[in-house]
Amino acid sequence: MADHPRRLKRSGLTMPIVTERFINNAWHRGCDFINMDLEDSVPPNLKDVARNLVRQSIPVVNKGGADAVCRINHDLMEADLNAAVWPGLMMVNYPKAEYAHEIRRMDEIITRLEAERGIRPGAIEIGANIETAVGVANAYEIVSASPRIRDFGGASGYDMSRDLGVEMFVGFDQFVYGKGEVELTARALGVEPHAAPFTPNLTGSVSDPDRAFAEADAARRCGFRIGGGLHPNVVEPQNRGFTPTDDEVADAHWVLEQYRLLSRSGDTWIQTEDATGQPRIIDRYEAARAQELLQWRALCEERDREKSEAISRVRAAEEHAE
Amino acid sequence: MPANDKIRRSWLLVPMSRPERVLSAHQAGADVVILDLVEFVAEPDKPAAREVVAANLSAVKAGGAEVFVQIDPELMLADLRAAVWPGLNGVVVSRAESAEQIAQIDATISSLESERGLLPGSVEMVAGLETAPGNHNGYEIATASPRNWGLTLGRADLIMDLRPEPSGEIHLMQYLMQRLVTIAAAAGKTPLGASWRHPDRGLLATPANTLAAARRGRAIGFKGSFCVLDNQVAPLNEGFTPTGVEVAAARAVRQAYSDATESGTIAAVSHDGRILTADIARQYANVLALSDAIATREMFKTAAVEGRPVPVP
Repeated sequence: MADHPRRLKRSGLTMPIVTERFINNAWHRGCDFINMDLEDSVPPNLKDVARNLVRQSIPVVNKGGADAVCRINHDLMEADLNAAVWPGLMMVNYPKAEYAHEIRRMDEIITRLEAERGIRPGAIEIGANIETAVGVANAYEIVSASPRIRDFGGASGYDMSRDLGVEMFVGFDQFVYGKGEVELTARALGVEPHAAPFTPNLTGSVSDPDRAFAEADAARRCGFRIGGGLHPNVVEPQNRGFTPTDDEVADAHWVLEQYRLLSRSGDTWIQTEDATGQPRIIDRYEAARAQELLQWRALCEERDREKSEAISRVRAAEEHAE
Repeated sequence: MPANDKIRRSWLLVPMSRPERVLSAHQAGADVVILDLVEFVAEPDKPAAREVVAANLSAVKAGGAEVFVQIDPELMLADLRAAVWPGLNGVVVSRAESAEQIAQIDATISSLESERGLLPGSVEMVAGLETAPGNHNGYEIATASPRNWGLTLGRADLIMDLRPEPSGEIHLMQYLMQRLVTIAAAAGKTPLGASWRHPDRGLLATPANTLAAARRGRAIGFKGSFCVLDNQVAPLNEGFTPTGVEVAAARAVRQAYSDATESGTIAAVSHDGRILTADIARQYANVLALSDAIATREMFKTAAVEGRPVPVP
């Protein structure tokens, strides 16, 4: 889907759409996206109320430059989509994705709603979350079912733990196989994998900024780009953790310079030392990584600028109004 | 049990565009020399590299090594025409991605075998599952041709851009290695690889790290591994060879089991606090058989280096 610009998803807050205070305050947190939840954080008796809030909430969460995402209910898919797919929405999160036919059905409904509601065809992404064993088994068919799936991951977390009947917060990775299946699927089908290298977490804290940074930093160093969380404390650490540092940018320029020299030599690789005296190998793979790092950093900077301009605009308008 | 008939512990990749590396390759002590036309040959040098394969096939075997050529499926015809000559033991298919591709390569090799007077079916294949589609289709690839002898992840860490985790493990590799070992065993093929850790990358590592990677690799089922540097060959040979301690323990087990079951009245016995059954005893017998086969292989290589005539095993 080359004609749809890549949206950054380094940080994002998931919040119950029925809690007005959360929705009204989320715009200035600086997240790349805001995930308005119709699912687990909304009690069954409020599902109708929640659904009726989505359309009006999209511009509210958008106003600080964050992209709007809506997490729908697996079992209320059609009604929820009807309530959620409005101009300004970037993505629908579909929890507990298990079968390709579910995704094909979603794609059909979204396609119709896009046409009816003046949304650019194909603009709305589907986030297919793998949270059950059935989802892992059908991962390849699920991702193949719609080009609206542009990134893919899962097979860990609360729902997966429950489905497998295991404790989530233990000192080792209980999900090696499922996460591997899901990531290999994403890579084999050419959609962006999102995954996190395992870091032991025995507390389960959702608001620890240091942990959030360490996890984002480790994920970025493995090549991953997508975050998200539940508490405002983790937004800034995730933005920072997923953005390459100045030192890394300088290093990438150095790698590309070494590669330019190498490519004149007829050799395909060389071992050398970097500025800090570390042994380094230079080859086309390092060059490709360096190039990607610079492009990613530029995208991060552009996105940060976009958000801070949007926030300034809102603040200026508010002052003007007073 | 996967094919275990051939001792192929160390596979030294030699860039075909480097005449000095090709000339010295037979001295490295590798079980297999891979003449590379893909990863380590710069694009403009490829036509010239192909030209000199045929002339070097027997020279690189002077130290008793077998010779494979690594080919690029994208340049399949040119690479196979350069490689399939008498003396060739097999080809490594870099970036193998589908069963159809393997079938096509198989057919091309067959026609070159008959055209050039090679025994039909004699050229073996190792499939490099180095991309995500290749790994996804691993079982179909493994079973797509009777020529397939082995499977490897090759330089998947670089080609799939897999990087070190905070633990020092390379991201996704534990999963991919076990997947490959399982697929290979299911298909009756030999899994090739070593369990590399940061800072090793793309088959490059110090001799000490290579030995550790080979030992960890052998422990999860690999039988041998590719490498890039001459000084990695000895650690791979060592790492994929049962140690003296293992061999002694296996002999003791064999003895204990045959003594205990001599009477024919029991099949399971305890030895050193562990249980022994016929299957478990066989597993130890396999260690001894492997150790013997390696000793024979080493005798053959030594004789080849010294220029003595060697009996064909």
